[in-house]
Amino acid sequence: MMLQKYRFEILAVIAVLAFCALFLWTSSAMGGAEFAGSDTVGSSKVAEISGIPEEHFSSLIPQWVPPGGEVESALFALQAAVGGILVGWFFGYWKGLKEKG
Amino acid sequence: MEGFLPLQWALLWWLVALPCLAAGVYQLNRVLSADRDALPLLGVTGGFIFILSSLKLPSVTGSCSHPTGTGLSAICFGPWITSVIAAIVLLFQALFLAHGGLSVLGANLVSMGIAGPLAGWGVYRLLRDTPVGVYLTVFLACALADLFTYVVTSLELALAYPAEVGGVGSSLVVFLAVFAITQVPLAIVEGVVLVLVFRYIIQLRPGILIRLKIFPEEKIMAARSDA
Repeated sequence: MMLQKYRFEILAVIAVLAFCALFLWTSSAMGGAEFAGSDTVGSSKVAEISGIPEEHFSSLIPQWVPPGGEVESALFALQAAVGGILVGWFFGYWKGLKEKG
Repeated sequence: MEGFLPLQWALLWWLVALPCLAAGVYQLNRVLSADRDALPLLGVTGGFIFILSSLKLPSVTGSCSHPTGTGLSAICFGPWITSVIAAIVLLFQALFLAHGGLSVLGANLVSMGIAGPLAGWGVYRLLRDTPVGVYLTVFLACALADLFTYVVTSLELALAYPAEVGGVGSSLVVFLAVFAITQVPLAIVEGVVLVLVFRYIIQLRPGILIRLKIFPEEKIMAARSDA
């Protein structure tokens, strides 16, 4: 009964755990893997295919680059936080409406 | 990847993206003024685009990528409105994170905001009026919207950089190996997570899903009682 009721939660947990297990397996099987962004890997493939060295690609429109990984991760966290607030706010609003009847 | 698309391609993708965005803004106004409950639904589905597209996750290819989260919004509001939300996220990432860029924003909009959601929405429309259950439909649409985004990213790069030997086809294979393969496990997890979210929406507020005709009433009620 409990299994049936929470089957989607259980599935989600299993999917996330399987994803973590897959990561542990790849990171140990591929010793040198850096887990760089696929954009970075993609950029080097572009350089490889076009024969133009990667340093020769420059922004068409000047771009602000966050000073360091710390600032970058803060801004990414900010984006996730905004999303979390939206989701929590509206789910809470719906829950309140439901309980009021 | 600012600077990695030649000017003519960057412009072309901007030209493709702009009419879709305009259609999205127009539809958004209409939907929001027609039903008060559309705004919370937009907040929840859009919120997940913000959350999921900020998560850079490691994958089987030894590199990282992020899910898109666009599937739910594509199901509930269609691809054009989804492209407006994706535009907000992509603009934030281009301006403040040096992730993407202003010249490639058009191309990124076409892949993440338009092509991916369009593919997810297509699957959903195909399955909506068949006996296939609501949850399986949502899973397939969300996973495909995520995966197809990166297939189109690969295509955009392959068109701009055809290989000397084998042309567009063989560079497509190279880019698919980087972007699409990395994305497969992420797309599956994203599909499962968004099914869970959709289930909560069904439990809390089934009315809006029925009024917006997102699924037939019988299917929503069947999905609701089967818990």
